[in-house]
Amino acid sequence: MRAGFRIELASGEAFTCAPGDTVLGAGLRHGLGLAYECNAGACGSCKLELLAGTVHEVYPDAPGLRPKEREKGKRLACQCVPLEDLRIKMRTGADYVPAIPPSRRTARLVARRAVTHDLMELTFETDDAARFLPGQYALLHLAAPIATRAYSMSNVPGAAGEGRWQFIVRRVPGGLVSARLCDEFTPGATLELDAPYGIAHYRAGVMRPIVCVAGGSGLAPMLAIVRELAARAEAPPAFLFYGGRSARDVPDLAAEIGAADPARTAISAVVSMPGLASEEHPLTLPAGLVHEHLARSLPGAFAAYEYYLAGPPPMIEACVRMLVADHGVPPTQIHFDRFF
Amino acid sequence: MPSVMLCRVEEVACGTALRVEPEGLPPLAVFNLDGEFFVMDDTCSHGEASLCDGEIEDGQIDCPWHHARFCIRTGKALTFPAVVPQKTYAVSVEAGEVRIEL
Ligand SMILES: Cc1cc2nc3c(=O)[nH]c(=O)nc-3n(C[C@H](O)[C@H](O)[C@H](O)COP(=O)(O)OP(=O)(O)OC[C@H]3O[C@@H](n4cnc5c(N)ncnc54)[C@H](O)[C@@H]3O)c2cc1C
Ligand code: FES
Ligand code: FES
Repeated sequence: MRAGFRIELASGEAFTCAPGDTVLGAGLRHGLGLAYECNAGACGSCKLELLAGTVHEVYPDAPGLRPKEREKGKRLACQCVPLEDLRIKMRTGADYVPAIPPSRRTARLVARRAVTHDLMELTFETDDAARFLPGQYALLHLAAPIATRAYSMSNVPGAAGEGRWQFIVRRVPGGLVSARLCDEFTPGATLELDAPYGIAHYRAGVMRPIVCVAGGSGLAPMLAIVRELAARAEAPPAFLFYGGRSARDVPDLAAEIGAADPARTAISAVVSMPGLASEEHPLTLPAGLVHEHLARSLPGAFAAYEYYLAGPPPMIEACVRMLVADHGVPPTQIHFDRFF
Repeated sequence: MPSVMLCRVEEVACGTALRVEPEGLPPLAVFNLDGEFFVMDDTCSHGEASLCDGEIEDGQIDCPWHHARFCIRTGKALTFPAVVPQKTYAVSVEAGEVRIEL
């Protein structure tokens, strides 16, 4: 087998794509700023135009590409594995240049812990150091049957050389990968971990106060950011907003942040389906949607904050719409990952 | 009121769009919907995509990058990730020329 294929961009840059790697993964590993967001075939950000060569599509029905675009030779770089040398046209940008180029290694599960009834914290270890920015995600590749999904790290990279990666996975009813991770993965099990990815990472240089908004499993990357802030001597104050369906979906957020300075992070949670309250889980939290709660309770001018959001696409959409269209927050101050 | 000539009507076939770059203005998209002309800023309010490269369907333009949809008549941002409307212009057609009033 060949060592790889040569991918040439219309702009002149070129890189090698290892056998089995995606065009997006290979380009980012090379240090190029190829445009992307989800790595899951859903957002359309990584669209490329195939000028020469053929590819295998990992996820041919990916919703990020319209049938008409496919007819015109467009493909999604995150779902394309080259079958020969390629020439492509694709968007690039400085924002996408990886601070830490992604790489692949074997990871071994070392611990599991239930965070709520359907959120499971999984801790993996790798031989090499875990290097990523808070808010970033990994691609977890499972074997037999082969499947790849994105999961965000919830820990902060530890002491130098430490290979610790933590995730919080929501068990999606009928979900192929999340159910396997939550139910079948026991300590000792291994998978391939390809990381770090994601552009919605913490911006250390920005000193505006921080607002983190998480819905459901969006908790993981927001915890990573809040934990990072807690570990810094000089960090702006932070607000953590969490939206769950009912009381039993809301973790003990203060306990999860752990060693954080509780005076620095203001925590609040709301539930969207208060009717789900039970004797075991009474309604103790305000009812509503997380963006409405944020609109009511965030003090001062909204444009004075830096925003990090993670969770279901409808939650992200409602938050961004409210912040940008209703409150004039510059989109450059809003960083989000939609959990497709 | 100054009026700016953008193109001739025959340059924009029915159901298509033409990108024009008039002096002193941002790039503009000229749409022909069943013989009626509409003009809006060509650069998507969400990113850097040229809306003229998108698909036109049901009076809407689908951005070629992240698929936000805008109403061609009003510029309204109909779907995420765009949340800010496209700027639209008052159009007139005189002697076979598509013009906008500023
Ligand atoms: C950037 C990002 C970060 C995320 N972080 C987290 C996290 O921290 N915690 C968490 O619980 N979830 C997270 N998710 C969601 C997670 O990746 C999975 O979508 C979720 O766990 C459901 O997967 P499933 O296999 O159980 O469900 P399924 O219903 O089997 O699959 C769900 C998703 O997988 C994708 N998919 C379906 N078929 C294919 C295919 N053939 N090839 C490739 N992809 C396919 C689609 O996007 C689909 O929406 C994140 C998603 C993204 C995009
Ligand atoms: S579709 Fe490829 S990055 Fe989102
Ligand atoms: S650039 Fe148009 S939707 Fe993103």
